[in-house]
Amino acid sequence: MYSAEISRANPTSFVFLLDRSASMQDPIGSGEGQRKCDVVADALNRLLSELTVKCAKEEGVRDYFYVSVIAYGGSDAGPALSGTLAGRDLIPLSEVASSPARLETRTKKVPDGAGGLVDQDVKFPIWVDPVASGGTPMCKALTRAHSVVSSWLNDHPACFPPVVLNLTDGEANDGDPTIPAEALRRLASADGSALVFNLHVSSDNSSPVSFPDNDAALPNQFARTLFSMSSMLPDHMRTYARQQGIAVSESTRGFVFNADMTSIVQFLDIGTRTSDLR
Amino acid sequence: MLAHISTFWLPKRGSSLQEYEDAFWVGPNGDDEGEIQQRSLRVAVADGASESMLASRWANRLVTSFGTARNAARTKPGFMAAYREAVSGWDDQVLKYMTDRELRGAPIQWYEEPGLAKGAYATILAVEFSDGWQDRPPAWMASGLGDSCLFQVRDESLYASFPMNDASAFSYQPPLLASRGADNDALRRHISLKASDWESGDSFYLTTDALAAWFLRAVEAGDRPWETLRDLDTLDAQLDFTEWVDEQRDAGGMHNDDTTLVRIDMC
Repeated sequence: MYSAEISRANPTSFVFLLDRSASMQDPIGSGEGQRKCDVVADALNRLLSELTVKCAKEEGVRDYFYVSVIAYGGSDAGPALSGTLAGRDLIPLSEVASSPARLETRTKKVPDGAGGLVDQDVKFPIWVDPVASGGTPMCKALTRAHSVVSSWLNDHPACFPPVVLNLTDGEANDGDPTIPAEALRRLASADGSALVFNLHVSSDNSSPVSFPDNDAALPNQFARTLFSMSSMLPDHMRTYARQQGIAVSESTRGFVFNADMTSIVQFLDIGTRTSDLR
Repeated sequence: MLAHISTFWLPKRGSSLQEYEDAFWVGPNGDDEGEIQQRSLRVAVADGASESMLASRWANRLVTSFGTARNAARTKPGFMAAYREAVSGWDDQVLKYMTDRELRGAPIQWYEEPGLAKGAYATILAVEFSDGWQDRPPAWMASGLGDSCLFQVRDESLYASFPMNDASAFSYQPPLLASRGADNDALRRHISLKASDWESGDSFYLTTDALAAWFLRAVEAGDRPWETLRDLDTLDAQLDFTEWVDEQRDAGGMHNDDTTLVRIDMC
């Protein structure tokens, strides 16, 4: 299981759920940092960027993935991307790559070749901006994801199982999200069940937690609920997590609390990986 | 030596012929095939990493450098010199590529920039065959980094396997040669070398990882995979490489990847 190749001949899908409810206006952690809506918008833009760069070859981006971004806030859940991507459920990654809302320039530290670091300008694509208003219809978003994934699996029964990543503060107010999350996790290709992961941003000033295997260190009920909704990492993903210095066990789940989750892009195999000799 | 050389290659299913990112070089001219008579013969095979930009160009650059360098298959310093030679002109090649893109109105996009900055990566396998001399038997020497392999078959058994010996050791993360260069100590640690003898009637199979893993799995199961490879495209068997690889991929016996075979039959 979880060994199907991800290729243009056998692509898979990646569904992002983006919480845009009013509570996302509150600051993360100690109260001095960014707003939760800033953090999830930035996280999503970085995830899409990493995924795109991973699949980029000269002359274009290969459609190893079809991407859906579903935002939820107010009383509704629906596609969140804009411009030519607006209103579409699943979009080939190459189209996502060629149509960010805008490109910003950011500064990044890079090695200077003499043991130090220098600032370098890099282009950073923005697909979504921070939004925060209204209620948190997380159940509706998970149900919408169920429909997107279900339809994908009908057309791609042998694909690597779709990944659904929910970026949220966990404060669902349209019912118990564990029920639609469980239904989502029951959807399966011949290669295994869909993977549901959660990135929890919280105003709680507790220590960040990355890929835990139990909920003992989680500070509140929202975190524990999201942890319980999250799939366990398949074998090969645990191996990549371990290589990135993350402590894992067989029960490790795809969940982080006030922490970065961009690394999951590197948990997906699309071919020979590159790294310098050590 | 008198040898008969056959080469076979196929891109990953779903990729076009232009997207094939393995490369091979067969001396003395780089593209030799059929019957050749030489005192020595150099062959190089490389596998460009899928998660890197310009991998095909880099793999081609490596096989040319390793195929033409005098000691690339013989010693670690010879290997490192061939690698340095490949690295030395790479930046110019990338610059030319970027200029060409600009000139034809298709400039580098934001998502290509990180990959171009990181550089290209590939495995390498370099082999040199030489005739016997005075009381020394005919010999071959090989150097390699990564999971491109050489198999030598004599008298219906696997006589030598280099550098991989175990089908379970193949992964998505083999050591790779980077176009940006490498730390010398790390490079030295990862280079494998081997030397052995050959005799008339021996067959050599130089392959990239998908076929190499299939070969070793078959050997481990007690089969004789060379019987299939020996028959490819011969008048007797009429076995077509593309059809055969497709069948293996369909049956789950071979990873869907660019696939390369250089077969050398010593006459």
